[in-house]
Amino acid sequence: MTVTAETGGDLALVASQSPMRWTRAVNIGGLIATLATLLGAVLWAFPLYWAIVTTFKPESEVVQAGVKLWPEHFTLENYVHVLFETNIGRWYLNSLFTSGVVTILVVITAACAGYAISQLNFPGRQILWWMTLASFMVPIQALIVNQFILMNQFHALNTLVAVIGPQLIWPVTVIIYKQFFDGVPKDFREAAVIDGATDFQLLWRIYLPMNWGITTALAIITFIAAWNNFLWPFLAVTSQEKMNVSVGITAVFDAFGVKYARELATAMLAALPVAVVYLIFQRRVTQAIMLSAGIKG
Amino acid sequence: MHNVELRHVTKRYGSVEAISDLSLSVDKGSFTALLGPSGCGKSTLLRMIAGLEQITQGQCFINDVDVTDTPPAKRKIAMVFQSYALYPHMTVRQNVAFSLSVAGASRAVQERRVGEVARILQLEPLLERRPAQLSGGQRQRVAIGRALVREPEVFLFDEPLSNLDAMLRVQMRLELAKLHKDLGTTMIYVTHDQVEAMTLADKIVVLDKGRISQVGSPLDLYNAPANKFVAAFIGSPGMNFIPAEISSVTGTMASIALPGGKRAEIGVRSPTPPEGPVELGVRPEHFLLTDPAAPAASFSGKVAIVEHLGNATILYVDTPAGQLIVEGEGNLGVKSGDAVGLTMAAAQAHLFSGGGAVL
Repeated sequence: MTVTAETGGDLALVASQSPMRWTRAVNIGGLIATLATLLGAVLWAFPLYWAIVTTFKPESEVVQAGVKLWPEHFTLENYVHVLFETNIGRWYLNSLFTSGVVTILVVITAACAGYAISQLNFPGRQILWWMTLASFMVPIQALIVNQFILMNQFHALNTLVAVIGPQLIWPVTVIIYKQFFDGVPKDFREAAVIDGATDFQLLWRIYLPMNWGITTALAIITFIAAWNNFLWPFLAVTSQEKMNVSVGITAVFDAFGVKYARELATAMLAALPVAVVYLIFQRRVTQAIMLSAGIKG
Repeated sequence: MHNVELRHVTKRYGSVEAISDLSLSVDKGSFTALLGPSGCGKSTLLRMIAGLEQITQGQCFINDVDVTDTPPAKRKIAMVFQSYALYPHMTVRQNVAFSLSVAGASRAVQERRVGEVARILQLEPLLERRPAQLSGGQRQRVAIGRALVREPEVFLFDEPLSNLDAMLRVQMRLELAKLHKDLGTTMIYVTHDQVEAMTLADKIVVLDKGRISQVGSPLDLYNAPANKFVAAFIGSPGMNFIPAEISSVTGTMASIALPGGKRAEIGVRSPTPPEGPVELGVRPEHFLLTDPAAPAASFSGKVAIVEHLGNATILYVDTPAGQLIVEGEGNLGVKSGDAVGLTMAAAQAHLFSGGGAVL
């Protein structure tokens, strides 16, 4: 009988035996926690659900008063409009290009900087390290005016260079690389030095491959962040030709003004690649978020 | 011919002096062990020869070329680390070929050399495996292979057997000895294990606090230690040290008074040993058990502990001179609590001054 209760097999049978055992088997605390989590999940998911459902409603239905949890007249018109009447293809390409370039350059520069701070002895190394740590604490928004003026002085505004340039500053990736390179036993370095490896060979053939998981995690999180970045690309470009997909959402309007269903459809299409990337690399993304929060995964 | 030579080498870390004005010559083709306790500077010395540590003062020569400021890769040395330092993301083949690959050797050359090394070390079936898929002994062989492929003038080993279990250590010791015999290359081997040093090396350098305590063949160190440190460090179980007093010296023989009232005649190497308190050093196997009342017994006492090792028996005997360790044959019929007398082989005993120097 006890075995049945512990394996959670026949609850009714256990309940008839002893009410106390039944409550223990159900675990009231766990039940409350599950219900609270479920409630939280519903609250979190509802806006997403609402946005998705809205994209399948005609605009006239969207602006009607009241809450309709399911479209009365199901339509794909919003998606058709966004896909065929806007520059979304171009915006996708721009997003892909800028996010790809940002990811590649951030990973390369961060790996090099992290390696230099971790492994090389040069004057000012400590100062550089403290500066990297300090820059990590400055919010991007605080720098945005300076970046705008700088890009203007470079005559780079309204180009993809302006979108990419300021996004290359990712001190947290340098910090993470430095921490991981610090953890590589020095015997590996010394063995390679005796074998005649240069610092570049050490980095590319020993340190990076030994921390390949970190590199992929950082690349994924950088790509997602660059793809989702809205504020800076929104300020840096005004031409529809140079917009990325997140900024492109603001350009979906017609002579009669903003159409909510179409904007949400654009937002859904903008988020789709990131959602796919996340679903494929879920574990790595979680690891990267933990890393950037200072928790070694 | 000297293969490696250190001249008045000093190594300082801030105010700490790890190696003090040390000079050493290693002959071509020899197997030299750097032996000493933890912190004696033996690994630092090896790393200075490798070029992994900067020499604060002095010079290092390899094949009569001053390599003091030469980078490690250009010293014609190869090193085997205690941790093996095998790159975990590379296969055995890639690990062994790494030095050739960074030097830009063609794939054909890499294949040929890796093949040769794999044949010598019997690594052929393991070439496509990664280090995580190898046993400790196999990893050790790969680490040696990685050193071997460089065709070095000098092999440096930094406690390479420390991570192996006792049986594998014996097996690898034999393999290293065979490798040295086959290659005839100079090998410098750091260890704190005197058994490794005694069995492998033809010359042992005993280090103590950054200085050379004694250099010599294994038997020289065992039979004629230069000081108390070497006498205590070499040999297991360790030498017994007994407080004594020189009452007179005649030629090369000193007459000493032992605790418990007996006297002994011990040979001295020093031409003028001072009279007064000294320490008598006797190895455990240089005591013979006898009747406690026998006139030849230098000490008498009670057996405190008996350790049966099979091939030998170790006795811990409480005497007026303190607890003495005695090593007898395997089937010694003595048990704890027995009263025994100890006769010592005076010809094999040593006298040490208060400062530890042999007299």
